[in-house]
Amino acid sequence: MGLSAVFHHERRGDVTAVEALDLDIQPGEFLTLLGPSGCGKTTTLRMIAGFQPPSAGRILFGAEDVTDLAANQRDIGFVFQNYALFPHLSVFENVAYGLRVKRRNAAEIGARVAEGLLQVGLQGMGDRMIAELSGGQQQRVALARAIAVKPRVLLFDEPLSNLDAQLRVQMRTEIARLQAELAITTIYVTHDQEEAMAVSHRIAIMQGGRIAQVGTAEDLYQRPASHFVAGFLGSTNMVRATVAGAESGAVILDVAGFRWQLATAQEFAVGQTVEAVVRPESLAFAAAGHGLDGVVESRVYLGAKAEYVVRCNGQTMQVVQANPVSGRLYAVGEAVCLQLPPAGVQLLRIDG
Amino acid sequence: MPADAAAARSLGSGPRLGRLASTAGLAVLWLLLLVFVIYPLVMLLLRAFETDGHVRLAPLIATITNSNTLRALRNSLELALLVGVAGTLIGLMFALAAERANLGRRAAKLIDLATLLPLISPPFTTSIAFVFSFGPRGLITYDLLGLKNVQVYGLTSTFAAETITYFPIAYLALRPMLASISSSFEEASFSLGGSRWHAFRTVTLPLIRPALANAFLLLFGFSLADFATPLILSGSDFSVLPTEAYLQITGMFDLQGGAILSLLLLVPAGLVYYAQERFIGDRSYVTVTGKAATASRRDTVSMTARILLIFGCVAMTVLIVYFYLLLFYASIVMAFGANSTLTLEHYHVIFTEGLPAIEDTLIIALIGMPLGGLYGIIVGYLVGRTRIRGRRAMEVISMLNYALPGTIVGIAYLLAFNDKPLELTGTATILIACYVFRYSPTGIRTTIALLQQIDRSMEEASASLGASNLTTFRRVMLPLILPAFFAGLGVVFIRSMTAISATIFLVSINWTLITVKILENMTEVALGPAAAFSVFVIAVVLVVTSLLNLALKRLTAPTLRVDSIGA
Repeated sequence: MGLSAVFHHERRGDVTAVEALDLDIQPGEFLTLLGPSGCGKTTTLRMIAGFQPPSAGRILFGAEDVTDLAANQRDIGFVFQNYALFPHLSVFENVAYGLRVKRRNAAEIGARVAEGLLQVGLQGMGDRMIAELSGGQQQRVALARAIAVKPRVLLFDEPLSNLDAQLRVQMRTEIARLQAELAITTIYVTHDQEEAMAVSHRIAIMQGGRIAQVGTAEDLYQRPASHFVAGFLGSTNMVRATVAGAESGAVILDVAGFRWQLATAQEFAVGQTVEAVVRPESLAFAAAGHGLDGVVESRVYLGAKAEYVVRCNGQTMQVVQANPVSGRLYAVGEAVCLQLPPAGVQLLRIDG
Repeated sequence: MPADAAAARSLGSGPRLGRLASTAGLAVLWLLLLVFVIYPLVMLLLRAFETDGHVRLAPLIATITNSNTLRALRNSLELALLVGVAGTLIGLMFALAAERANLGRRAAKLIDLATLLPLISPPFTTSIAFVFSFGPRGLITYDLLGLKNVQVYGLTSTFAAETITYFPIAYLALRPMLASISSSFEEASFSLGGSRWHAFRTVTLPLIRPALANAFLLLFGFSLADFATPLILSGSDFSVLPTEAYLQITGMFDLQGGAILSLLLLVPAGLVYYAQERFIGDRSYVTVTGKAATASRRDTVSMTARILLIFGCVAMTVLIVYFYLLLFYASIVMAFGANSTLTLEHYHVIFTEGLPAIEDTLIIALIGMPLGGLYGIIVGYLVGRTRIRGRRAMEVISMLNYALPGTIVGIAYLLAFNDKPLELTGTATILIACYVFRYSPTGIRTTIALLQQIDRSMEEASASLGASNLTTFRRVMLPLILPAFFAGLGVVFIRSMTAISATIFLVSINWTLITVKILENMTEVALGPAAAFSVFVIAVVLVVTSLLNLALKRLTAPTLRVDSIGA
């Protein structure tokens, strides 16, 4: 039985935020819960932390059932979106808080706090007050405070959403490095797909309170299990096609009259309708007759790449042209031909 | 969200002993609220409507239809209306000067001080000074103008004295509102071609309208409930409800009549409360007080307006300072208006004959202060942070004694604790209880307001680091709500030193109060000792609140410092 969270809403009745969620996380793993807002990822994290009891299901840390334990008995480290640093305490005292609560002796506290501050690059800042720190520094203190108690599980709730873009990239690298060093099992919540791909060992994509797919970033990007996952992680073209022929290791697809031979391990029956997940960077411009005919609708030149929108038979296709210096740029209104990739495309069955 | 309730419960499950203790504590708290808030009010209602064991409306009808009562009611309303309007306008003038007239730092400080004085003085300080200034032997009327047999008592002087006493409340209500309105709105209007006056009229005024209404209602309520000023200044021709009720009880020993008269006050007081909740409520909410003003310019009024504002404020400040100097002068001369030889005689009198009253007042204030401060943050925390059952009811009940006019509370206590089973009349307990339950709501409100600014993740962070509920409260929440505790201490102490409307019914031969002594002195025309007592009270209040502020500054981190004591 998976984990569920049902909330009672005054007007809407019972609202299910998380439904029968089943997730197994390996020791030392960095797992990210990724999804749009309202998908239940934060609720799941708060249930794991013990801030919120599940309406059904159990939570296990190793072999120990912690479902009925309060947050303060679960031995966790939690990094909050708003940092939740104690404004009346210094940096040192914030980091020392968990150790003082656990009544460690002064020498140990001093050593552990110094170590924690060193790990997050804040050595020598122990005497500062929280209000004197920048956003990035506050984030580091929150991190140091969570790891100072050497928790069994480290939990992050959108920790970088209050930082500016540049700092976000820097911090996520540091979080990933620190997690690898400490090898603490980590669950990280974010709605930023790039962030998720950058830090995690595995990503669990959530949709409507359920897990849509779990896997490594490559798995999810290259072999999405559903339309939602394909669309949520990266941008994509969903190309509708009919299976015109099937043999072992390949299919022939009919895309609006064009016959597309595609190598794939998936098996299909002739006549079935499928959706092909064609990533914009896998499309290439080709000579006429070697692909789908279309007209360039718009072009954005970005230096390292050029992004096109091409209209083909009533369907708009996104195309990314890498390193446009070596090729030629196509103008808006120009007739082009798009070459479909011969392999590496995930096909999704369409029911009905 | 009920899930929060479960979350709050599961945040930290303390040991069973702790839960037992907190249940017991909660039971004690409810018992206290029942005994000192609900029970007296029930007794008051019973007494007003019960004759010989039956509910009878005849006494009520007789009182209501009595022409004296009707006149007192009409006078009360007229006075409150005038004080409300005038006080709000003067408050607005001060707020505008402080926020928009680009005063220097020192001038702004002076204005703050002048407005603070009436707030921390015994309620009839202004009245006494009024008599000194405009009475039959008054400095201005007699010495300066040479007028004989001047009649100082009546509507005009009651109105003027109450306005001076209460306008700082309007100032305190309006100033944060003005500060929160960025002057860039006015700049925008000005840049679009409107005059300064046009900008004020079309932008600023509509924005502060809820605050103006709120200030008016506050003053209306304060004037309605004011007992001390009319007692000294209204005279025999201009009677108001609180004084009528007092005279009914102390002069004619008619407890039922007094009870009914005090209840009549409830009608307009209730309407004011309703209007505040219904029409103003959230709209006058100021998010971060003062912060916006630091960034915006403060000189968005025209030169003429600026001069007028400054002139008005200076005139008012001079008047207030003049009154207090007069009071001080009256305390150090032999006989005010007759013999101006300097003397310490009056101080000698209050520290010998008046010593019991001073001792009693200080003992009561010093015992009530910590109790009230503690009670304030405990109730504030329970109401504002926990999910205990009945917390809404607890909030409303805890506010009752504060919201009701003092006369009602005083008479209710008198009726409730005069006989068995809770015979407390004549003890210090009844006075302390009256002050604690009547004046702690400031601490409760401040606690709730501070808690609203503390994100719940603060407690979750503490819990995630292994802290129990109790540890979280002690190490995280308590330091953060400390300013509310000190605000509670300050208010309970100030009011214990200065309030009279409720406790005048509760003093006895064993326990009396300085304020009651001042009143006695005034009626016996012992003006010197009355002035000396007043000066003494103001000095004590200033010293104690300064000490509290100092302690608060020492105890809180520099980043959390809030100036919360004083008003």
